[in-house]
Amino acid sequence: MQRGAVGCIWLYALASVLLPLGLFGLHALGPRWFFPALLPDSLSLEPLLALIGNPRTQAALGLSAQVALLVTGLAVLIGYPAARALTFAPLVGRGVILAVLFLPTVIPPIAIGIGLNSLMLQLGLAGTLIGVCIVHLIPVLPYVILTLSSMLSRYDRHYEEQAQVLGAGAWQVWWLVTLPMSLPALAVAALFAFLISWSEYLFTALIGGGRVITLPVLLFALVAGGNPTTLAGVALLIVAVPMLAILLASRLLGGGPQVVGVR
Amino acid sequence: MTTLTMHNLTLRYPRQATATLADLSLAVASGELVVLLGTSGSGKSTLLRLIAGLLEPTAGDIRFDGQSVRALPAHRREAVLMFQKAYLFPFLSVADNIRFGLRVRGVAREQQRIAVQQMLALVELEGLECRFPAQLSGGQQQRVALARALVTQPRVLLLDEPFSSLDTSVRRSLQAAVRRIQRETGVTTVLVTHDLEEALSMADRVALLLDGRIAAYGTPQQVYTRPPTLAAARFLGITTFVAGTLHGCQLTTAAGVWVLGAASACAPAEPPRPAVVAIRPEQITLHPTRPADLPNCVLGQVQEQSYRGDVIEYLLKVAGLPEAVRVRRPTSDAPDPIGPEVWLHLPPAALWEVRAG
Repeated sequence: MQRGAVGCIWLYALASVLLPLGLFGLHALGPRWFFPALLPDSLSLEPLLALIGNPRTQAALGLSAQVALLVTGLAVLIGYPAARALTFAPLVGRGVILAVLFLPTVIPPIAIGIGLNSLMLQLGLAGTLIGVCIVHLIPVLPYVILTLSSMLSRYDRHYEEQAQVLGAGAWQVWWLVTLPMSLPALAVAALFAFLISWSEYLFTALIGGGRVITLPVLLFALVAGGNPTTLAGVALLIVAVPMLAILLASRLLGGGPQVVGVR
Repeated sequence: MTTLTMHNLTLRYPRQATATLADLSLAVASGELVVLLGTSGSGKSTLLRLIAGLLEPTAGDIRFDGQSVRALPAHRREAVLMFQKAYLFPFLSVADNIRFGLRVRGVAREQQRIAVQQMLALVELEGLECRFPAQLSGGQQQRVALARALVTQPRVLLLDEPFSSLDTSVRRSLQAAVRRIQRETGVTTVLVTHDLEEALSMADRVALLLDGRIAAYGTPQQVYTRPPTLAAARFLGITTFVAGTLHGCQLTTAAGVWVLGAASACAPAEPPRPAVVAIRPEQITLHPTRPADLPNCVLGQVQEQSYRGDVIEYLLKVAGLPEAVRVRRPTSDAPDPIGPEVWLHLPPAALWEVRAG
């Protein structure tokens, strides 16, 4: 029974991720792979290294990192107080606020993207890094707030009261208790923010207007070029960074004693 | 050493019919351990939160050494509250947890180190300073929490059912430790519990809190043997109440005329008035035949009897009394077998008048 389930999961992983990735890997490493051949006639790292050395790729990589990191920072800065208010403050109409907050995840991005484009044009933010970052917050914030508030709802505020009666003022409570207790939740939320922003194509293309060329935008541009080797290489680059981020996060979150703070 | 007084404290939440705490006044002497005893929802934890400054009263005042502390925020009140759970900061070692209160006050590192060692010795946990909370047992966690609370030498120590989540044996040893440490440090302490035995064994004085009011306040003996009101007496396990007309020392009831109290305490000058008297179940004695020279004897029929280990409990029907009388008799007395009918003797000194409410 259990073995069957594990088998299904592997099959799913194979079909959805491993197989396409494997194909991309072969494409990226084997530039000479033509039709009837079952496999490329030779494999080499050279095309991949050339791609990484390419200034266009490097610029896109740098820009993607900049955007994703900025969005992550902004999302956590906005999302944490919002989640705290939604969890703890005596709010009227909490349900309505949550519904509005999740609207962007329900509405097709293409539908709002055009409107956003003209709004950003009026604000003079179209085609700018900041404009792209702001628009990325639309799909990112709901996930960040949901992650944080679900963690916060299990967070026991007695720890803060305990610190208070022991003599800690508001800032000391925040710095010495609240922040360390919230770190695991913040890390998970930040990871989500980074991943969503990193793989965002549509909003970047619409608002960036061809001037903010992140990796996904570059990838779409390359599709038209039709060189499978470059295409596969860029795709692998896009995948590699989130993989590294998840590995790093699971390392950081896995062993620590912090999770005990959750009731 | 600090005296703690509460003056007409009231706490009322908006849209709530009855006040959580109603016009409550209580004085705790310096160095005293007062136990607040009450059912859940009686407002005892709320009272601790008010004293600690985590909650604002609707009206009334709280004073330390006669000076109002209402304007002081929780972190400057020097009243440390310990909760039911230890709430040790999970990301800090035992030593770092204990020195938390000194750290936020900016005490020098060397002094912190010395104080931590003193506290670890006080709570008998030497050598565990590098452990993390998750590596400690429940009892050890509460000891660390106690050390953390005492390291700042608070004016008032507030304990909110700190033993209720522990196993019996651990609870006993921690109760003894808290009582010893409280005496050693002389810190004015208020402990909240719903456990009668814990209250009686630990307290200098017991305050019985019922429905947001102090129903009785005195030494454990006073509160246990002479609860002044009907509700307080019920809480303390008394079930026998007899209504009648009191004139001086004589109570005329449907079950006969009884004498009560010591003769000196009687006031024969007063006109007769309706009154309710109470008696503890272990103070009634049972006799196979009518005792010749004893007052207050009534005949009862045994309805039920149950063996409770240290005592046998009887429920006896007495003509004229609406409710069966509960009697507890120690098994060690090797009591004579009780027939279906038995004489009950209610010693005059064991009867006292209780007020309604």
